[in-house]
Amino acid sequence: MNIVVCVKQVPDTWSERTLRESDSTLDRDAADAVINELDEYAIEEGLRLAEAHGGEVTILSMGPDRATEAIRKALSMGADKAVHLVDDALAGSDLLGTSAALAAVLGQIGFDLVILGSESTDARTGALPAMLAERLGVPQLSYASKVEVDGSAISIHRLADYGYDTVEATLPAVVSVVEKINEPRYPTFKGIMAAKKKPVQTMSLADAGIDPATVGLANAASEVTGWAKRPPRQAGTIVTDEGDGGAKAAGFLAERKFI
Amino acid sequence: MEFSETDEHVALRQAVAAIAGKFGGEYYARKAAAHEPTSELWKALGEHGYIGINLPEDYGGGGAGLTELTIVCEETGAQGAPLLLLLVSSAICGEIIADYGTAEQRARWLPGLASGESRIVFAITEPDAGTNTHRLSTTATRDGADYLLSGRKYYISGVDVADAILVVARSGPDDADGRTRLSLFLVDTDAPGLTVEPLPVSVQVPERQFTLYLDDVRVPADRLIGGEGEGFGQVFHGLNPERITGAALCVGVGRYVLDRAAAYASTRTVWDVPVGAHQGVAHPLAEARIQVELAALMTRKAAWLHDQGLPAGEAANMAKYAAAEAALAAADAAIQTHGGNGLSAGYGLLPYWGLARLLRIAPVSREMVLNFVAQHTLGLPRSY
Repeated sequence: MNIVVCVKQVPDTWSERTLRESDSTLDRDAADAVINELDEYAIEEGLRLAEAHGGEVTILSMGPDRATEAIRKALSMGADKAVHLVDDALAGSDLLGTSAALAAVLGQIGFDLVILGSESTDARTGALPAMLAERLGVPQLSYASKVEVDGSAISIHRLADYGYDTVEATLPAVVSVVEKINEPRYPTFKGIMAAKKKPVQTMSLADAGIDPATVGLANAASEVTGWAKRPPRQAGTIVTDEGDGGAKAAGFLAERKFI
Repeated sequence: MEFSETDEHVALRQAVAAIAGKFGGEYYARKAAAHEPTSELWKALGEHGYIGINLPEDYGGGGAGLTELTIVCEETGAQGAPLLLLLVSSAICGEIIADYGTAEQRARWLPGLASGESRIVFAITEPDAGTNTHRLSTTATRDGADYLLSGRKYYISGVDVADAILVVARSGPDDADGRTRLSLFLVDTDAPGLTVEPLPVSVQVPERQFTLYLDDVRVPADRLIGGEGEGFGQVFHGLNPERITGAALCVGVGRYVLDRAAAYASTRTVWDVPVGAHQGVAHPLAEARIQVELAALMTRKAAWLHDQGLPAGEAANMAKYAAAEAALAAADAAIQTHGGNGLSAGYGLLPYWGLARLLRIAPVSREMVLNFVAQHTLGLPRSY
């Protein structure tokens, strides 16, 4: 089975994240960069499927030069090879541009199964898996908390408020995963040392046959028109328990529609 | 000169920090208070190839060097979960067996050390010899094809979690030129004739200390590591790795307690500004951070020298001295920053002070390091 896992490098959620004043895009230099957390679950699922059914796991990442750090980490976890789509013209691409670019590369390198995290911690739209499936013309199986493959049949548990739905499709397909699906492995020392010898193919827009007019900030269909810093955290409400603490706490939650 | 780390070293730091961080300071403080081994962390690191990172690949190790082992020591410490037995099992015993063991001995012992499934501890210190190795009185006497070991060892760490003990014994009278005839033997922890008694210490660390009584412990010849009577040189070959990894552990602990102190001092507010805004609080932390960073540099240099096969004794001693002093200053400043909370069980800082205090004495005392530097670096007359 030819498995491609899409990996995005994002600013560490533990560091202070900010947008650039000039163009309202993410200031990637201002924060530590890590693999998008949910993508680690996607990598783990890809590795488990390849271990169980045979085949190869290819990492696909679109991002600046620095994304090689995320690619190396994914390779050190055990993926076989990687494709790095890197081109200055891609900077500032919105979802439409990103999905078009990734679909173009996927069309070129081929796949049986594409796995992604169900959203990224920076943009948080959660729409890329659907767009990618649509552009590739293959089924989308989203929010998977379990994946099973049997020949060309794929079946997942799709996480829902009430439990899960079982969703089935035929490969090739796109699957997005949630963190309930597995426990991502840590790189072993052998994995770290092996990663530097694994092939990483870099592709430019031209290599992937992507029309520059479909990607980048200038061609984005969506635009950030304004943004503000998150307001400082407000002091919490202290509920004094005078025998009715439970009711007061429930009232507080009900007021905010949590219950 | 190159000070930036390779991509692999950065990845190594991150991976070890991620594994150790899942356990962290809360886990360590709990284990330390109970004097229970941190075996879960040891196992997790072993499974990922980090415990035996410095051992040969042919025997399941990582095929890397002391530089990489020091990174493991530092990063586990920096997550608040220092592993004292890395100094003994991976550094001293691993290096001695890898360098001086026969092919059969390496095949028998190294895979377990590499995977972390077994541990070997090191027994040199004796009640009447202290740092003076020439006065060791534990003897190894030939008896047919075997040796019989008799004597007493104390302050032996981790015997409770070890499969075997690398025992240093006198295997003959001193040579005419004063050379001490020492030999190294691997003794099973359950060998007949060996009595193991806990040696209670007040310092709260997970690793326990023991006194060993050897009463004609029969050891087959295939447990002699290296040449008979060659033990002195072999031991000294293993002591540099112990000092260097000990230094790395101190650097890690120093980083950890200072991170904790900085986080506390940035938020703890009892008047109008966080306590960290006061220089009386900030400067001791900054001073300790400088000492930790300097010790880290010397530790890396010492590990590099060892890996290059260059003389590393001076750098190893200096690194060990500087790192222990820095960790102790860091722990002290961190505790002071926390005020009364610094001594509470809940904040769990005191075990790190105890560990740093211990490492000012062991594996070599600060006084012996100063003697070494005075005599060998400065050329002063020897004092002992």
